[in-house]
Amino acid sequence: MAVAPGVRDASEVAEEISSGRLVTEEMLLNVGPQHPATHGVFRLLATIDGEKLVDAEPVIGYMHRGYEKLVEQRDYRQITNLVSRMDWLSNIQNELPLAMAVESLMEIEVPPRAQYLRVIMCELNRILNHLMFFASFGAELGAITPTFYAFREREDIQMAMEAATGGRMHFGFFRPGGLKEDVPRGFIAQALKGVRQVIDRLPDYENLLLGNEIFKQRTIGVGVLEKEVAYSYGVSGPIARGSGIDFDVRKDEPYLVYDQFDFQVSTAPNGDCFDRFWVLVHEVVESAKIVEQAFEGLPSGPVMGKVPRVVQAPVGEIYVRSENSLGELGMYLISDGDRRPYRLKIRTPSYNNVSALGHVLRDTFVSDMIAILGSFFFVLGDIDR
Amino acid sequence: MPEIALTAWQILLVKVLVILTIVPVGALAGGYAEHKVMAHLQHRLGPMYPGGFHGWATTLADGLKFLYKEDIVPDAADRKVFSLAPAAIFVPVLMIYLVIPIDRNLIVEDLDVGIFYLLAVGSISTIGVLMAGWSSANKYALIGALRSAAQLIAYELPIVLSAAVVAMYAGSLSVIDIVEKQNFPFAIWPPGIGLIAFLVFTTGAVAEMTRVPFDMPVAESEIITGPFTEYTGMRYIFSHMFAEMGHMVAFAGIGVTLFLGGYKPIIPWSPLEVVPGVIWFGLKFALMIFLFLWIRPTFPRVREDQLQKFAWKFLIPVSLVLVLAMGAWVLYV
Amino acid sequence: MAVDERKLSDARKLSDARKSGFGLGLLKGMAVTLKHLFKHNTVIQYPDEKQDLPPRTRGVIALKEENCTVCMLCARECPDWCIYIDSHKETLPPKRAGGRPRKRNVLDRFAIDYSLCMYCGICVEVCPYDALFWSREFEYSEYDIRQLTHEKERLADWMTTVLPPPELEQGADLPGQPAAAAASATVEATGARPANLTSSAVEARPEQAATAPREGSFTTEPARPASSLPPQEQKRETSPEDAQPAPGLDTEVKAAQGLPGATTQPEPEVTLGAGRAAESVTQPADTAQVGSDATSAPEGQPPQKTPSVAAEPAVTAAEPVSQAGLRNLGGQAPVARPSTEPAGVAEDPEAAYRRVLQEQASRGSSPQVAEARAKVARVKAERGMARTATPAPATAPVQSAPQATPTEPEPSGAPEAQGPAPEPGPVAPTADEDRTDG
Repeated sequence: MAVAPGVRDASEVAEEISSGRLVTEEMLLNVGPQHPATHGVFRLLATIDGEKLVDAEPVIGYMHRGYEKLVEQRDYRQITNLVSRMDWLSNIQNELPLAMAVESLMEIEVPPRAQYLRVIMCELNRILNHLMFFASFGAELGAITPTFYAFREREDIQMAMEAATGGRMHFGFFRPGGLKEDVPRGFIAQALKGVRQVIDRLPDYENLLLGNEIFKQRTIGVGVLEKEVAYSYGVSGPIARGSGIDFDVRKDEPYLVYDQFDFQVSTAPNGDCFDRFWVLVHEVVESAKIVEQAFEGLPSGPVMGKVPRVVQAPVGEIYVRSENSLGELGMYLISDGDRRPYRLKIRTPSYNNVSALGHVLRDTFVSDMIAILGSFFFVLGDIDR
Repeated sequence: MPEIALTAWQILLVKVLVILTIVPVGALAGGYAEHKVMAHLQHRLGPMYPGGFHGWATTLADGLKFLYKEDIVPDAADRKVFSLAPAAIFVPVLMIYLVIPIDRNLIVEDLDVGIFYLLAVGSISTIGVLMAGWSSANKYALIGALRSAAQLIAYELPIVLSAAVVAMYAGSLSVIDIVEKQNFPFAIWPPGIGLIAFLVFTTGAVAEMTRVPFDMPVAESEIITGPFTEYTGMRYIFSHMFAEMGHMVAFAGIGVTLFLGGYKPIIPWSPLEVVPGVIWFGLKFALMIFLFLWIRPTFPRVREDQLQKFAWKFLIPVSLVLVLAMGAWVLYV
Repeated sequence: MAVDERKLSDARKLSDARKSGFGLGLLKGMAVTLKHLFKHNTVIQYPDEKQDLPPRTRGVIALKEENCTVCMLCARECPDWCIYIDSHKETLPPKRAGGRPRKRNVLDRFAIDYSLCMYCGICVEVCPYDALFWSREFEYSEYDIRQLTHEKERLADWMTTVLPPPELEQGADLPGQPAAAAASATVEATGARPANLTSSAVEARPEQAATAPREGSFTTEPARPASSLPPQEQKRETSPEDAQPAPGLDTEVKAAQGLPGATTQPEPEVTLGAGRAAESVTQPADTAQVGSDATSAPEGQPPQKTPSVAAEPAVTAAEPVSQAGLRNLGGQAPVARPSTEPAGVAEDPEAAYRRVLQEQASRGSSPQVAEARAKVARVKAERGMARTATPAPATAPVQSAPQATPTEPEPSGAPEAQGPAPEPGPVAPTADEDRTDG
């Protein structure tokens, strides 16, 4: 710790401070690629001046697995299981656009029961995903308890999903044409039990986080993402809705049978961390409503449409989008008539969402950085795929 | 007289041994309590296996595990300072225990300037934390150390002032005198003043221990245990775990002594006097510990600037007002 | 609708939520954690107690070696190419004197590298001969990544842990089912639906109970060929000298021996006989819970709870039912029902097909199995094969695979079944179960 050559007198420094001329040195802080707040291999090149974040540049690509190339070598059934692994928190929702794309190319009609079950599973998955982010957001702000409560709540829904699909994370349940198989008996009861439990216990989360003064101090007015900026970065999902953008593919361009359900798109106008979190909480309520309605209207019948033995999408191209837990998930499928896609471009929500991080993080505190990272609800696998 | 001199040394030896056993044992027990209480607050079980019965030996096993870990000193670190820092953090914690009276006659050393000593010794660890953070040659550690120093200074004041309120009430600095002067626990009697002083003290204590919600210096989700990022094995245990736990136990003891009437019954009623003071102390002590453990998992952490604002703009003015009020109480009531 | 809007109304207003509560929020938070301190714990202490995983759980892939025909479909379809298969051709002497010698693939090696496997289940799905199954077993970690490549012996061991596929949720459709049959299978279920489809299994049950007698009544019983057929098939097919069976038949075999829940009709009676069906959600017993208190199943009973319990009685009692048609209602003494099946009576193939399908539908077998069984019935009817009341194999349906010994009827049935009966670990406590600790 050698003393720097140009050490100045204390009075000199004091004078500089009082006159506002104090020159401080900026420090480059590498947040990640291994850092607890990034939940994944995500790097943030932060330039900090004391506690202030002067600049921040998100660096991604540490987890690139080349899915878009991989899928060109695999048939559609295998791809279902691959894309399921992109966003490991909303897996079954990843499978959906792929199935829908192949279906519309092949002009397969999906039986209503399958459509309803798809909606149910997607919404259950959304609840699972949102609960996970309750947990992680709290944990990042230092409140570790919501983590455990959220995992407890997740368990019941998780069990329902596992009973139906056999997987806890990677479900691999949607197939072009419908579902792999019908859900087992008891699925409805278990899923409803889980969903109701979440709704029953939601006030606990609100008391622990949303109503907590410290939480409010940490989040209100922090990391404001303006509406225009959100538009320009293509931000979608709860983050965009937290910035007052009333956009939800489920509502604006209904797919499956979403147009038959009564639910609201929760939006909040301020665009700060608090509003993003608030939207997240309320989306859980809306998802629960959808699940209940879907179970009410669940028709009987087959869960698989008339699909040829070998799924071969005819020559053509199509863009399909759906509302993932974290925003708009789009798949652009080009088929040359083979069993495999010629090209599958995947537009993942997290990728666009983190692009806005650099803008939001400027001129915040180091601690705010964590709150903002937590409130951006990104999944690394979804960014890099 | 050589014999007397020898006895004095023996007494000293015993005292040192007592302290040296109490602190680690207290820290281990505190660690276990933290595991279990926190687990149940979070609706889980916590450790269940080590030792057989509800995992009572968890912290012991943890300690052993840390013993076996490699002691790593980063290349760029200032080796001497780096290795001294844990001692600089931990020894002051030991010294706090000197003046906590568990019963009327059960105190290691009844100093005349008890409170003074407590507060003075309690803030020495700050230097150790700074040493650790600076010598680690790690940016996260540096940020943590600076945060820690700023925070410990900011929250030392409310503690000192609230303790001063008690000293004014008792008219003495000796902890035994203070306990004896409290007819009711201080937190109950001078109405209002006592309770607020107790809350101020508790808040300050939590901040001094750098626990949630005031754990910015070690925030593991941001700066990865701050000053202790580079520490491993036993050094980590001593500088972070033992220091935090030791502080917690010590502050609980101080809180009980100053505000909850120490070893005296909860209300001055003669039948209650039958119960030995140690038990009363233990009960109140457990209550304090539980309060600390309860706060921890419940709250998110406060941001650094908010933390400073809270100390300087709220806690310290409040405690100054308390001093004034106490002065008025002592003079006119 | 359980989503209580009022409960959430406070937080619904964003402007209110953003206001400071002056420390009240802190106290509320502390109340929440304190409340949980006194709640019963729901944690499962894993190595001591195990969670009862659903039958579909993708834990590990088990191999039923004698069903494998080395068609390599699984290895080809595997997205990670983690299945290794070696085989050689073998020439077998002709079956009859003067016949041609037959060729046959013999499996030398079947290994799955679980360090590569992504647990997608495509291999299980594509296997045309039902040689691969998912097992709930998941404790097979190793210290070395190379040891995660498990050979066929190990994979075959896991067959003992395979559970029957679960019964399907109400309203599920079965493939190839004639419209009328589909209606009969689903109408009762859907009829109740509009009213209140919150329909947990319990709420739906009254109607079900009402229909059950019809489905499971004695009149349909005799017309059930499958109970007697599989054994024959099985005996023939499991003998190694035999020619490769037609796929349809083979699936039938699997249905018979591999998938007790789906296939063996004895099951409903069995579960009844065992008197444990009341809790069963996944078991076909549901539909057949005739006289027994059908409504007693607790709501929200996780479906995975039962198989471990119910599979066992199913196995033990498989014998008497298929043989003598015993039926035990709600714990009454078994009533012997003479086998009304006239041996060797030919039937119209299509009728047989439809009847079996319908029957399977009412049992809630999985669609594939139902179809397979129906096909088999049709083929048999076509060939005019006799449906004698042959005793069913005494082996436990699933577990039998490795030590498949189609043996003498009843007596050995029970003990045999006990042996390989799946040992799925202790039944897990559910969330409501009383789990405190100090």
